[in-house]
Amino acid sequence: MNRLVYTVFVFFWGGIATLLIVHWLSAPPVRVPAELPTFTLDEVAEHDSLDDCWMAIRGKVYDLTEYVPEHPTSPRVLERWCGREATEGMETKGIGRPHSRYAWELLEKYLIGRLEADRH
Amino acid sequence: MHRRGTAIIVLVLILLLPGLLALWLYPLPVDDAGDRLRWAGRIVGVLGLSCLLVNAALSSRLPGFDPWFGGLTRLWRLHHYIGAASFVLLMLHPLLLAYGALPASTGAAVGTLFPPLADLWVWVGWLALLGMMVFLAPSFAFFGAPHYQRWKGLHLVSGAVLVLALIHALPLSAMLPPVWAWSIWMLFGLVAASAFAYRALFSRRLARFPCRVSEVKPLASDVVEIGLRPEGSRLDYRPGQFVYLAHLDRELGIGYNEQHPFTLSSAPQEDGLRLGIKDLGDLSGALQNIRPGAEVTVEGPYGDFFPPDLDDRAALWLAGGIGITPFVGRARALGHLGGPPAQTTLVYCAENPSRSYYLDELRQIADSVPNFQVASHLFEREGALTADYLDTVCPDWRRREVFLCGPPGMLDHCRRMLRRAGVRRFHTEEFDLL
Repeated sequence: MNRLVYTVFVFFWGGIATLLIVHWLSAPPVRVPAELPTFTLDEVAEHDSLDDCWMAIRGKVYDLTEYVPEHPTSPRVLERWCGREATEGMETKGIGRPHSRYAWELLEKYLIGRLEADRH
Repeated sequence: MHRRGTAIIVLVLILLLPGLLALWLYPLPVDDAGDRLRWAGRIVGVLGLSCLLVNAALSSRLPGFDPWFGGLTRLWRLHHYIGAASFVLLMLHPLLLAYGALPASTGAAVGTLFPPLADLWVWVGWLALLGMMVFLAPSFAFFGAPHYQRWKGLHLVSGAVLVLALIHALPLSAMLPPVWAWSIWMLFGLVAASAFAYRALFSRRLARFPCRVSEVKPLASDVVEIGLRPEGSRLDYRPGQFVYLAHLDRELGIGYNEQHPFTLSSAPQEDGLRLGIKDLGDLSGALQNIRPGAEVTVEGPYGDFFPPDLDDRAALWLAGGIGITPFVGRARALGHLGGPPAQTTLVYCAENPSRSYYLDELRQIADSVPNFQVASHLFEREGALTADYLDTVCPDWRRREVFLCGPPGMLDHCRRMLRRAGVRRFHTEEFDLL
């Protein structure tokens, strides 16, 4: 029993060290600034249901339709943010707590455009 | 056995309850491997936390609680296993969450483990886990065999770990709806905190019986029997149970107010308590010199060596060395009761007659009551105990309920002998509390 616990203890620190080393060694992701279309808030507002859900977050526009069923909490909490400026929802989860770094990185997968600056 | 089985099933259900709820509310994600890892990370977090909190409750050492689990030594072993499970699960928890974020990027994985300081709750979780590593390192002998008192002191860090773990889990709980998470964790946390507070703060005043040493009787060069007179209320116990004794005699120079377990050798019918103590370490060595009039406290009783439901079965008692004490308590009680309800034979193994403490008194009891025989087995004369020897002194021993108490070498030897003879049901009392 003691040996098993000690093995997991060593495995734990080994796992963390591996992760840190891999992270330091891996090249920073090269982001090609693609030419993204620009949308107005009115255009975003046309996609305001769980079946067709766009959101404007920190000046970018995301199509989260495919992600809706995968959201950890009930999709209903997302519904009120569909079709609108949702930075607050992303930053507070509605309970004053920001989403994790993982969630922010995941969000980028659904990026479809930029929010038109003068209408923001 | 029946009672113990029920208690363990109830315990396992309580341990698994939050995890099962989470499984039910959040089934395993189907497509994404990263999601699956992160899901597993959350589940092990939930299970690890419930193990941690329930284990705190088990450690309260509330008298009367341990017989449900077959005695305190068995309960401690259970506590050790659950503690190991909790520690392993809670180490896997951050690892799985971090590796589950790898599909997004290595930055996301590292960020999961080491987020900005503003993500306070994650850092509180780290503090709890590091605290756990500190107080559990000696429990699992990471750095060699632990020193008993240091290990005990370090274990108090667990109180801070419980609080930190709850502070971490409550706001971050993603597997259970907030109301459920708060209700379950607050309930578990409250029970754990009460148990911890009882053990660390209140048990000194509430559970310790003040006594005074009334008699110190040397039984051999390194064995004494200490008689105690309760200063207040009497201790209610069954023969063969043990207590935690702490002396308040500064002149002994060692172990002031430190609790150590000793078996009661007295019968519950007596006015006072008696404890047979052999010099096996620093404290038990110092206690050889305790003087009548010294103040002590006892806490207990603990243990379930002689379960009451087996009282009416024919029994074979195998005792070795100072392992005779629970049998002395029982034999003295039989003296008061006029003998056991069924045939009972004590085989007392010792090196030579001078190491056979209590033998004369035990023989006197055997002569004065029916159904009770005493056989003295001397290692010097007869070698190790054998099945043939038992056949001579107790021909039907294979059909009897066997009770075994003695030094580790003798226990191993007797266990092997009993198994070879097809005796599966035997009862032992082991003071291997670490």
